[in-house]
Amino acid sequence: MVLAAGTGADVLRAVLQGTPPGAVYALVALGFVLTYKTSGVFNLAFGAQAFVSAAMYFQARVEWGWSTVPALVLAVFVLAPLIGLLMERLIFRHLRTASAVSKLVVAIGLSVALPSLFETLTGFSGVAGKTPGGLVPDGANVFYDPLGVYPFSRDELVALGVAVVAMLGLGALFRFTSLGLAMRAVVESPRMTELAGIDSDRVSSVAWMLSSFFAGMAGVLIAPRFNTLMAPDFFHLVVVAIAAAAIGRLVSLPRALLGGLGLGIFIALFRTFLPRWSVDLPWLEPFQDNLTPSMPFVVLFGVLVLWPAIRRSPAAADPLSGVDPPPLSLVSTTRSKVLTRAARVFGVCFLLLVGLTVWFRGDVVWVHLVTQATIMSLIFLSVTIITGLAGQISLCQGTFAAIGALTVFQLADRWDVSVLVAALVGAVIAAVVGALLSIPVLRLGGIWLAIATLAFAFFFDAVMLKFSWVGGGDSSLLQGHRVPRPVLGPWDFADDRRFLVLVVVVFTVVSVLVIRIREGTTGLTLRGLRGSELAAESIGVSPARARMVAFALSAAIAGLGGGLLAIHQENVNYGNNFTPTAALFWVVLVVTLSARTVEGAAQAGAAFSLFNAVILQGAGLAWITRGHLPGFFPLSPKWRFVLFGLASIQFARHPEGLVEHGKRRATVGIDTRLAARRERASSQDANGGEGP
Amino acid sequence: MTTLFEATGVRKSFSGIRALEDVSLRVEAGERVGLIGPNGAGKTTFFNCVLGMLRPDAGRVLLDGQDIGGLPVHRRARRGIGRTFQRIELFADMTVREHLLLADRIRRGEGSLLRDLFGRGGSDADERRRCDEVLELLGLGDLAADPVEALSLGQGRLVEVGRALMTEPRLLLADEPSSGLDREETDALAATLREVQGDRGFAVLLVEHDVELVASFTERTYVLDFGHLIAEGPTAEVMADKRVRQAYFGDVEVGSGS
Ligand SMILES: Nc1ncnc2c1ncn2[C@@H]1O[C@H](COP(=O)(O)OP(=O)(O)O)[C@@H](O)[C@H]1O
Ligand SMILES: [Mg+2]
Repeated sequence: MVLAAGTGADVLRAVLQGTPPGAVYALVALGFVLTYKTSGVFNLAFGAQAFVSAAMYFQARVEWGWSTVPALVLAVFVLAPLIGLLMERLIFRHLRTASAVSKLVVAIGLSVALPSLFETLTGFSGVAGKTPGGLVPDGANVFYDPLGVYPFSRDELVALGVAVVAMLGLGALFRFTSLGLAMRAVVESPRMTELAGIDSDRVSSVAWMLSSFFAGMAGVLIAPRFNTLMAPDFFHLVVVAIAAAAIGRLVSLPRALLGGLGLGIFIALFRTFLPRWSVDLPWLEPFQDNLTPSMPFVVLFGVLVLWPAIRRSPAAADPLSGVDPPPLSLVSTTRSKVLTRAARVFGVCFLLLVGLTVWFRGDVVWVHLVTQATIMSLIFLSVTIITGLAGQISLCQGTFAAIGALTVFQLADRWDVSVLVAALVGAVIAAVVGALLSIPVLRLGGIWLAIATLAFAFFFDAVMLKFSWVGGGDSSLLQGHRVPRPVLGPWDFADDRRFLVLVVVVFTVVSVLVIRIREGTTGLTLRGLRGSELAAESIGVSPARARMVAFALSAAIAGLGGGLLAIHQENVNYGNNFTPTAALFWVVLVVTLSARTVEGAAQAGAAFSLFNAVILQGAGLAWITRGHLPGFFPLSPKWRFVLFGLASIQFARHPEGLVEHGKRRATVGIDTRLAARRERASSQDANGGEGP
Repeated sequence: MTTLFEATGVRKSFSGIRALEDVSLRVEAGERVGLIGPNGAGKTTFFNCVLGMLRPDAGRVLLDGQDIGGLPVHRRARRGIGRTFQRIELFADMTVREHLLLADRIRRGEGSLLRDLFGRGGSDADERRRCDEVLELLGLGDLAADPVEALSLGQGRLVEVGRALMTEPRLLLADEPSSGLDREETDALAATLREVQGDRGFAVLLVEHDVELVASFTERTYVLDFGHLIAEGPTAEVMADKRVRQAYFGDVEVGSGS
C-alpha cells in the first residue's frame, strides 16, 4: 500500500470533503430512524418523498419562475410534512399491529406509487441536463477555503449549514418541549408508550411529518448532484439512510447521526485513497471506477452481513416484534376443492381462448405483448416461491433475472452456445448465486433480509455489471447486447408466433413444477417456517437449508425467465428490464395480485405487460365499444405504478393478495350458499330429520 | 443404562437479570418430571437453553450422556427432544393434519426436492395412518382438515402435542400446557397427556402452574425460584415442603385449585 508523506493532509482533506454530504446523510438517517422507531415502519418510500419535494421545488423554481424562498417553503415546509402526515394518517396508523414485513411491502408500494402520482398530477417529467440549481446562486462554482486544505463550494456549505440547523432544531424540540420528550421516550423505547400513557397517535403523526420534512430537505439539497431529476436516483437516498442507520444499529438518533456523518467521511476517504492502491493492484480498478457511487450499498451489505450484532438480534431490530400479529382471516385458508378446480378449468379455457385469438387475429404487436406477458409471468413465479411460499421479501429478483439474461448473451456471444442451452445455464448460475447469497443473508430474516437483497441488487447494478465478463463492458451496456433467437431442429424461433408457443410451453412446465413443490414436502416445510420458525425448528426443520433451497429455486426461475426475456427481445436491455427499482415494481405487482398462486403470477405478468395497452391506452374499451374512446384516453402509463403501488397497501391485511382474497371470498360465499341449499333440500326430504 | 437427559450448572442472564443460576436437572427414560416455580422463575428460559433457542452462559446439556450444547435447534430436535410452547406456536395457514404430516416427514428426513419435482411429494398411506393414529389418540380426528385458525386454544395445544409426538421424541418438554384453559379443558388435556404418555412411554419434563396437574401427573418435581433450584424430590414430598409452600404457593392450599 502506498501511504507516502502528505497522507495526513489527504486524510484531513477527505474528512472535510466528506463532511457536507455526511451531514445530509445524517439528516436522512435521522428522518428514517424517527419513523422506524415510532411506528415500526421501515420506510422505503423515504427516497420517493425526497424526490417529490425536489421535483416540486424544481417545478416551482424553473417552470413557474418562483424565487427560492417561496419555492422552498412550498416544497419542503408544506408539501413534505403534508405527505408525511397523509402517509401516517391514511395508511400506517391503521397498520400498527401488522407485521414488520407487511409494513415494508406497503412502503415499497408507496415508493413505486408516490413519484408517478406526483408526476401525473403535476405533469412533471425529468429532462436530461435540466436540474434545479442549489439554494444559492452559483452554488457549485464559488468556493471558500477556510483551512487552506479543502475548498468548500457554496452548495456544500449550505448543505452543511441546513443540516446542522435542522439537527439543532430537532435537538431543541426533544429537549425543551413536552411533545419532544414524549417522542424521545417513544423513540428510545417504543414499548414504553402504552405504559406511560403517551398519546402515541400524536407522537407518530409528528414523527412522520418531521421525517418527511427531513426527506424533502435532503432531496432539495441533493438534487443538484444529478443530471436528471428522476425518482430512481433518489431511491439511493433510502439506501444511504438505512446504511447510516444500520451503522448506528437503528437504536438511537445520535448514533444514526454519527452513522450518517461517518458514512460521508468514509466515502470521501475511499475516494481519495482507492485510486492510489489500484495503481499497484490493477484488479481494484473496476471497483475504483464504480464503487464510489455505490459505496452506501456496499457499506450496507457489509454491515448487515458482517456485523454480528445485527445478525444475532433480529428481534431487537424489530421494535414491535413482541406484538402479536393480527389473526389471519379464515378466508385465506378455507378453499373449496370443487370450486378451486372449477376456477382452474375456467382459467385454462380463458387462456386458451386468449391464446387462439392472439394466434389467429393478433398482429405483431399483440403477439409481442402476450409473449412478454408470459415471460414476465414466468419470472414472477420466482416471487411465488420466495414470497408466497417462503414468506420472505426478496428485492433482488431483477438481479437474478439479469444474471440469466447476461449469461445467455455472454455464452452466445463468446462461444456461440445455443441460446436455449445458455438460458438453462443462466438459470443454474442464478441458482448458485442465490444459494451463495442466502448463506450470509438468510440468517437475517424478515426486513433485514429484504434490505440485504436490495443492497445486493444495487451492488450488482453499480459494480458487478461493469465487469466485462458480467455486463459486457460499458459500451455494450449503452447499446444493449445482441442476443439471437434459437433454432431447434426444424423450428426456427425467429418467427414470433412459434416463439410464443415455446414460451408458453416453458411457462406451463415451470408452473407444474412450482405447484408440485408447493404441494410437496418442500412446500410444506416452507409454509411451516413461514407460519412459525420457532415451531418449525423445534420439530427438526433446518431453516437455513430450507430457505437456501427456496432462494436457489427462486433465483433459478428468475434466471430462466430473464434469459427468455433477452431471447425474446433479442437484446439484454438491462436498463429497461432489470434495474433494482424496476424489480421493486415486480414485487409490488405480484403481492398485490397474489404471491401465493400460479394464477397470481400469471395475472401479474399480464398486468405488467398488457395493463398499459389494454386499459390505459384504451384498447380493451375500444374493442368493447368498437372504436369509440372517450376523449381522456390514452391515459398516462404511469397510472400502472400508481394503481398497483397503492393497491399493495392491502398486503398487510390480505397477505394472499387482493385478487386472490376476493376470489376466495367469492368461492366461500358460493360454497356456504350451496351448502345451505343442500341442507334445506335434505331437511325437507327427511321431513325434519337430521341433516347430513 | 445412561441417564436420558441431564443438565448441569446451566446459567443464563439477560443484561443484568439472572434468569438461571446453576440449574442442574436430570430426567430418566420414560420418567415424568415436573418443573414448577412462580412466574419469571426461568422455566421457559431453561427450556430455551435445553433446545438451543438460547445459548446458556455456562453449563452443559447432555442427551444420552453426549453434550448437545453446540448443536443448532433442529439437530437437537432430531435427536429426540420435542417441545410445546407456552405462547402457542402453530403454523399459520396450515391444517391440523398438515402440522402432523410435516413433523412426520421431517423425522423421516424425506424432504428431497427431487421427489417433489417428480411429483412424488404427496402423502402416502403409511403416513396417513401414522397421522390418524395420533389424531385419534388426541381426539382430533374430526378436526384433521380444519385450518388451525379455526381451533380453540385447548385444541391448539393438543395440536402442538400431536406435532411434537410425530417426531417420536424420547423427551417431551411441555411448557404450561394448561395456560389459558379452563378447569374442564385442563382435565381433559391431562387425561389425554397421561394416556399418550402411557401409550408411547416417552419421558416428560412438565412446566406447569396448575398444581393439581403436576401433583397427579409427575413422579418427581424440581422447584425453581428466581433462577435457583430450591427443592427437588418425589412430587408429593416437594409439595409438602415448607420452603416450597412459602416461596411458591404462599397461602394457597395445595389442591384447592386456582
Ligand atoms: N429474551 C429475553 N430477554 C430478556 N429477558 C428475558 C428474556 N426471556 C426471559 N427473560 C427474563 O428472564 C426471567 C425468566 O423468564 P421466563 O423463563 O420466561 O420465566 P417463566 O417461564 O418461569 O415464567 C424473567 O425475569 C424474564 O423477564
Ligand atoms: Mg414461562
